[in-house]
Amino acid sequence: MRRWTWGILLLALGVPVTAAWAVKKDEKLYVKARNTRVLKSAVPTADVVAVLQPGQQVTWKGADPKNAQWHQVTEPGGKAGYVFQTNLSTKPPDMELVSKDGKTRTIDPAAFVSSGAAVKALSPGAEKYGKEKGGDYAVAVNQLKKLEGLAKAVTPVEIDAHVKQAGLFPVVAPNTKLGPQPQAKKGGR
Amino acid sequence: MRSRMGVLVAAGLGLCLTSCTQVAKGLKAANLGADVNRVADAAEKVDSCDKLKVAPAIQEEYALGSALAIHWAQQGGGLMLSGAAQEKLSTYVNTVGRNLAMQSPRPELGWTFGVLNDTKRFNALSAPAGYVFVTHGLLQGVDNEAQLAGVLAHEIAHVVLKHALNQYVSVKVSTCKGDAMVGVGKSVVASALKNASLLDGRLDLDSDTGLMGKMVDGTVELAGKGHRKDEELAADALAVELMLSAGYDPGEFSKLLGQTSGGGGFWENHPSAKERQGQIKSIVEARGNNADPLARVDVAALQRPVLPASFTAAVGPVKKPTGVAKDAK
Repeated sequence: MRRWTWGILLLALGVPVTAAWAVKKDEKLYVKARNTRVLKSAVPTADVVAVLQPGQQVTWKGADPKNAQWHQVTEPGGKAGYVFQTNLSTKPPDMELVSKDGKTRTIDPAAFVSSGAAVKALSPGAEKYGKEKGGDYAVAVNQLKKLEGLAKAVTPVEIDAHVKQAGLFPVVAPNTKLGPQPQAKKGGR
Repeated sequence: MRSRMGVLVAAGLGLCLTSCTQVAKGLKAANLGADVNRVADAAEKVDSCDKLKVAPAIQEEYALGSALAIHWAQQGGGLMLSGAAQEKLSTYVNTVGRNLAMQSPRPELGWTFGVLNDTKRFNALSAPAGYVFVTHGLLQGVDNEAQLAGVLAHEIAHVVLKHALNQYVSVKVSTCKGDAMVGVGKSVVASALKNASLLDGRLDLDSDTGLMGKMVDGTVELAGKGHRKDEELAADALAVELMLSAGYDPGEFSKLLGQTSGGGGFWENHPSAKERQGQIKSIVEARGNNADPLARVDVAALQRPVLPASFTAAVGPVKKPTGVAKDAK
């Protein structure tokens, strides 16, 4: 298929293409990943100025001239710093909260993440459904509960350690601590 | 005479399934008899079923997703969780998957990644609310972490784009219309659907396992037919964006797709591997050459991390796929 045909297809699918990124200096961008760090300088080991959560907005000042993977921003509190490129998005993420009435709430992103409200478990009705079916379904219920326990134990701390070891991009920070970062023994970018 | 009239009106009802309100009101006003009034009532009920075409509430998504996850785990021969080596494998798959998911447009779902015992199929599946599964057979076919990340990112994309959830909504509507047509008004399922169609269109699946079972069965049946071609391509496109965001080389996902047969046969809705690979190449090239500093990706920095020794220990020897199209859901 020719390249222009793909371009039309991508546009039809709503896939972000170049035009979707056209952001000017001093315009707002969304933070998309959990524990997005704003650093004092454009290196991953720099002091942490602020830690933001999905849905919070920063003011974009431009790419660092020496390393275009880092972008200068001003965080919501007014502090200036640098954010890794792929932490930024022109579109807000979906922030979904399980509430008793089953409706989605619009809430403060930072408060939402720290509240733990986003953490779910196997729904009570589904658990009952599986147990009533019995046999392998009941076994699957117990296995899923165990799996969810293992999944929850994979926190940003474990993710950060793996990312450093594998040489991936530093998008999800391990914690919300401000100030100097502990020096990594090896790896990192 | 009565039955003839009933047949005629039922045929008329069948012709105006999607918008019968005006016809039904006219029939009622004409007061043509009990049979006609009954059919006019049914027509109004059919019409109100369209009110179920709303985005499910997040609690509804969790309930459906949990039940579907139980179903996929049962069908896949259970989860690989026996012993320390298999638990370590699950933790590793969750580490790779959750890193990608936390960078997705739905970062706060309770993402859970599991490995199915199934060694025969080279397959990956997902369910609403953030459940993603890969088969043991698929893991035996991946060469590096970027390939695994590509598969997980594709399934994350299906959840983010709510493809299975849209199938569920169509099951709600078709079940409601079917019940209205045959006059089933007193069953729990029919009552729940009718009430939902009169309110906000949402169902409390947790309240009744019969209702949940009916909705799950319908969604499983639709899911078995696979997603539409455009949905598969959209999931690939978002998967590439997630890989680029995390620092993985999407070329490895493309390489893995090249080892499957793609569309045809039972998976006739799936695009061919060649078509999918073409799209991936196009997106990566566009991002690598982009003049916008926010969009441009440093392609040279993308990684193909080796799989940890614990992965090989739990998964066993590498086995290449034998022409089975991947991604069932």
